[in-house]
Amino acid sequence: MDARILLVEDDPSIREVTAIGLRNAGFEVATASDGVEGLERFRNAPFDLLLLDVMLPRLDGLEVCRTVRKTSTVPIVMLTARGDTIDVVVGLEAGADDYVKKPFEVPELVARVRAALRRAGRVPDEGERLRLGPVEIDVAGRSVQRDGEAIELTRTEFDLLLELARHPGQVLTRDILLDRIWGYDYLGDSRLVDVAIQRLRAKVEPDPANPTLVLTVRGAGYKSSRPGGG
Amino acid sequence: MLGLGGVRGRLTATVVALVVITALVLGLGAYAFVDVSVHDRFVRDAEVQARFDLTTLIPARLEEPSTAALERSGLVEAFRARAIDLVADFGDVQPSFTSILSPAFSQAVADGNLAYQWTTLSTDEPRPRLVIGGRLPGTNATFYFLHDATAVENALAQLRLGLAGGAVLLVLLALLAARAVARGVLAPVEAAGRAAERIERGDLGARVPVTSRDEFGTWAERFNRMAAALGETIGRLEAAQAQNRQFVADVSHELRTPLTALVAEASILREHLDELPPGARRTGELLVADVGRLRELVEDLMELSRFDSAAEEAGREPVDLARLARQVAAARLPEARLEIPADPVVVQTDPRRIERILGNLLDNARQHAPGAPVEIRLVPAPGGGAVVLSVADSGPGLPAGRLDRIFDRFYKADPSRGRGGSGLGLAIAAENASLLGGSLTASNRPEGGLRFELRLPVTEPLPGGDPAATRGLESGAQTPTQEPVR
Repeated sequence: MDARILLVEDDPSIREVTAIGLRNAGFEVATASDGVEGLERFRNAPFDLLLLDVMLPRLDGLEVCRTVRKTSTVPIVMLTARGDTIDVVVGLEAGADDYVKKPFEVPELVARVRAALRRAGRVPDEGERLRLGPVEIDVAGRSVQRDGEAIELTRTEFDLLLELARHPGQVLTRDILLDRIWGYDYLGDSRLVDVAIQRLRAKVEPDPANPTLVLTVRGAGYKSSRPGGG
Repeated sequence: MLGLGGVRGRLTATVVALVVITALVLGLGAYAFVDVSVHDRFVRDAEVQARFDLTTLIPARLEEPSTAALERSGLVEAFRARAIDLVADFGDVQPSFTSILSPAFSQAVADGNLAYQWTTLSTDEPRPRLVIGGRLPGTNATFYFLHDATAVENALAQLRLGLAGGAVLLVLLALLAARAVARGVLAPVEAAGRAAERIERGDLGARVPVTSRDEFGTWAERFNRMAAALGETIGRLEAAQAQNRQFVADVSHELRTPLTALVAEASILREHLDELPPGARRTGELLVADVGRLRELVEDLMELSRFDSAAEEAGREPVDLARLARQVAAARLPEARLEIPADPVVVQTDPRRIERILGNLLDNARQHAPGAPVEIRLVPAPGGGAVVLSVADSGPGLPAGRLDRIFDRFYKADPSRGRGGSGLGLAIAAENASLLGGSLTASNRPEGGLRFELRLPVTEPLPGGDPAATRGLESGAQTPTQEPVR
């Protein structure tokens, strides 16, 4: 595997050991020690994945994430100092696909990176189009329209919507969604799913406060509405 | 309201009593004086009149001292017009009423003096009378002038009534005034009481208004100075405690960066332990294990400092406690015996925190009593309104006196024995429990070992009012599923 990863982390030790771990796992790794340098490196060379520390000197990781998202759909994994919901929310809102809580063990990080890369490299089914209420999903083009109007979704949000739309009316638990969208079984941290669902609703639901397309099943998980209601 | 127990009551009672005594003394004194003066005056007037009548009027009109002459003279009628009954005793027939006259009266009359006596004539004649008696000079005839004193007595009765009414009015006024004064006097005390109450509730800014320059004003100022000093001291203590907590938060945060590097490094080292020369391998293994311990300690410290700074928030979602407990048990202590209803037990809570609490309790049971059986039960709380998730071990338990310290930070039941974990697990579990609005308690089991009980409030019927959930809990409690989870 020769995927290229850009690691932006200010602490030299963490940067070095993370780079070693990723290289041991077969990745090609470039590093940057602050946000500005990270952005420069990203602009100068193509990368398959971005690993971003949240707390960075000069330009913080969230800002880097937002800037990158304006022009690229490259998978972004955030390294957060705290696993608080607020950090997760802010990270996902900035356009990150996943986050890894510090301190982390390198094998865990490698697994998350591989999962993110796998999702990014997923080959879409040719010409498949799905409908969820007023929302039309072009699977091959990875684009979504509502009443003919294009909606910008991040990769994670698109995958989540696709997964729900492919199983109309069927309850998908948070664990299943974690497994299918994020590509790992991570017991307990369903906040990732909840936050992503909220963000998805904010974009696709006609009235996000009263969702009609992506429904919560109390105590279980989520489901999409069946065509023709339900 | 006017209880004599209170200062206000006593003050009021004292003032009223003083007023009553004063009113009684003044009223009775004034009345007695008026009474005596009015009667004296009446008597004096009557005597002057009688003297004139006996020496001048009657001798001029009476031809001779006899009953017949008296009847002819028309004197009786003339006196009646002056509201005086004139009765004469010419020595032949003694008038009937003279029996009620005192011997002193009769003696005085016999000595040729005027005499008087206040009396009523009989029960048929209840009018108050002043009887003046005297001899007609130069005869043995005795004349009695029976004055009607009703007007005088009526006036005095009215005076009595007026005085009594005045006294009652005065007492009422005194009562009102005394209460007003008492309230005024006691107002600063009550204000201070309210201020103290507010301070007790944590409002350290509460002060007593200083409204006067008297003793109470001085006292209020002192009270306020005391409150200010108290507030300052508490503020200093709180600042010191906040500083302390901030220090812990800072330390654990600062530890986090090197710790992150250490954990990553150790995780790589662990993969390559086999490649190390034998002399370094064991050290490498120890290093990996110790990094794990350090990580646990720092993460626990950080979590506690987040609780201390109230930065932790509980999520709320419907959680099936039965399923969650089974999951956690399977992951953390698969050999635990479960007594958990087969049906869902759904409460509104934060599943991550429940997992944390139960996980820490299971870790504790494992470390406290290694190898001994552990029991996890989920039952409705007696009396309803809550569910109880309990973890019981079969270890040595704790002496009763030390049970209450078990949730202290870094508390070790047996200091001589190294205990796994950070020593913060139970403290963190307790913090989480109270954040969820529940409680975590520890007790010794009668059969030996410790039992921890997590009590969680059930605030709404769930899910969506489906009675199956609660029914499941109850029926499950009677016929618990006892399956060891693999």
